[in-house]
Amino acid sequence: MEGFLSLILEPINEVYLKFKGFFPNILAMLTIIIIGICVAWLVKTVFLKVFKAIKFDNWCDRMGITALMRKGDIWAKPAEVVVKVIFWLFVIVSIMVGFSALNHQAINSLVNQFFLYLPNAFSAVLILFIGYMVAGFLSRAALIAAVNGGLSYAKLIANAVRLMLAVLFFAMALEQLNVAPKIVVSAFTIIFGGIVMAIAISFGIAGIETAKRIIEGEKTKLENDKKGDVEHI
Amino acid sequence: MADFYQTGIITTLHRLGNPSLERIEAELIEYSKARPLALVLPALYSEFGGKAMPGIIEELSKVKYINKIVLVLARASEKEFMTVKELMSPIPYDVKVIHNDGKRIKEIYDTFSRNDLNPGEDGKGRSVWLAYGYVIADGVCDVIALHDCDILTYSREMLARLCYPVVNPNLDYVFCKGFYSRVTDKLHGRVTRLLITPLVRSLRTLAKDHPFLVFIDSFRYPLAGEFCMTTDMAKVNRIPWDWGLEVGALAEVYRNYSPRRICQADIAENYEHKHQALSAEDPAKGLMKMTVDICKSIFRTLASEGVVFSDGFFKTLQVSYLRMAEDTIMKFEADAAINGLTFDRHEEAKAVEAFTRAMGMATQVFFENPMGSALIPNWNRVTSAIPGILDMLRTAVDEDNR
Repeated sequence: MEGFLSLILEPINEVYLKFKGFFPNILAMLTIIIIGICVAWLVKTVFLKVFKAIKFDNWCDRMGITALMRKGDIWAKPAEVVVKVIFWLFVIVSIMVGFSALNHQAINSLVNQFFLYLPNAFSAVLILFIGYMVAGFLSRAALIAAVNGGLSYAKLIANAVRLMLAVLFFAMALEQLNVAPKIVVSAFTIIFGGIVMAIAISFGIAGIETAKRIIEGEKTKLENDKKGDVEHI
Repeated sequence: MADFYQTGIITTLHRLGNPSLERIEAELIEYSKARPLALVLPALYSEFGGKAMPGIIEELSKVKYINKIVLVLARASEKEFMTVKELMSPIPYDVKVIHNDGKRIKEIYDTFSRNDLNPGEDGKGRSVWLAYGYVIADGVCDVIALHDCDILTYSREMLARLCYPVVNPNLDYVFCKGFYSRVTDKLHGRVTRLLITPLVRSLRTLAKDHPFLVFIDSFRYPLAGEFCMTTDMAKVNRIPWDWGLEVGALAEVYRNYSPRRICQADIAENYEHKHQALSAEDPAKGLMKMTVDICKSIFRTLASEGVVFSDGFFKTLQVSYLRMAEDTIMKFEADAAINGLTFDRHEEAKAVEAFTRAMGMATQVFFENPMGSALIPNWNRVTSAIPGILDMLRTAVDEDNR
């Protein structure tokens, strides 16, 4: 009978001992996550106040960032969106740090991968942001130049410049995120190369007559010059 | 209208003979290909439960020269907004309903506020201004027409006659105001008959026929809510958000354009809409509030034109106005008599007394704050402060209407 009881109690005891050994890790994880959420909330509040003080929303309105958000059907204030992102970033980081407190090999490896990926994600966001600004600036510059040049299709040129730069920066961001980098690079090369080739062909075909006139003009001028040459002894 | 007399410094387009609606609409269809037209309708949800709106929708369904209707819906919940979209669905061309109380439009208003642009309080002025913004953002229409949504006697002829002078490129008017008589078994339009006309004529006497007063006096119905203008004008004109909307809008037209390009058209034999109570005891409501706002708007416009106001000026003005208004009552009494209309002289006199009191209040407000302006900034200034605002507005409206 004792043998039978020990057969039942031993596994339970073993599980209890394992849990006893593992419990501080769970407690540490929960503590880290709770502290992380508190810190995230604190950081969110501080950032919200700082953004209000520096009139971040107004700056976003003037820079066209708010308009971009609205195009994506995001109707919250820019500062609110940014602090929400910051808050959730802190929460996710604290959850990851909390998981690492479990000291489990598979989880540790996942956490390491996450932290190694963070700089890539940050770079991708930065690339998209800078890309948006550069595309806006250059498209505006192209529009002004084309309008001043009296081109009736100025808006089309400006939109084309914006689209091409958007494709370029989007591909750069995807490459940074390591999202199927080979496919992204190939796709980008094909699309960008295709656009440039299309422009080159259309420009070339449209310019055949003009080029012909210029070359013929030069040729005639050269011949005339030769006829009028005086040979000096 | 029986005569063809040209009054004042603007052009008056009369209703002569029996003009054919088919002909004018056929011409408008042709002209609107080169000058697409948007119709702006400021409406409250409650107006969809009234008698006027079903008739207006039915008439608008038959119109073929309008490119787009922009209806600004105020005081409506999300569910009521959906109902209005459904009610407007019989109209066979593009109809956009701007949900003034929707979350997206509220965010647009917040964007104005945080950039120190005051779009004013909720009302017809602000709604109309927002609709102009959408038409400008849309970039399709060259002409904007506007009328109220409480017109019981609405017909599509009214709209055609209102739009024709601006849509027709051969006439080249930039602004056209509607005029009509407002008669049932008695004369209506008390504020125009007993306030605006006597006040403007008294001011003309005191301010030596100032050109702005001559301009305002040229309009047969300066408070008519129906007008048509070019989209370019909507970009540069500021709009008052209070009851001074009609007079303030005319002041902006006077400021920015030559009177030679302004006209008024006889758009209807008769016009009937909901009547405002006089509210003689409460200056914050009804016709009294309207009177105070109109007087303030006229005084501020004249001050901005260099007219110097003093205590003595206003005292003289009040006396002059009272005499002029009393004479006007007598004229309308005779007019009513010859046409067999009911005329309550005592009620008319009471209205004049109330208007005189309201004028006194407006004078006080003007002296306290002559700079105080109820004008909403024009769209050129708004886009200069917030470059992406038109895109935001278009996205908000398009998403709401998806």
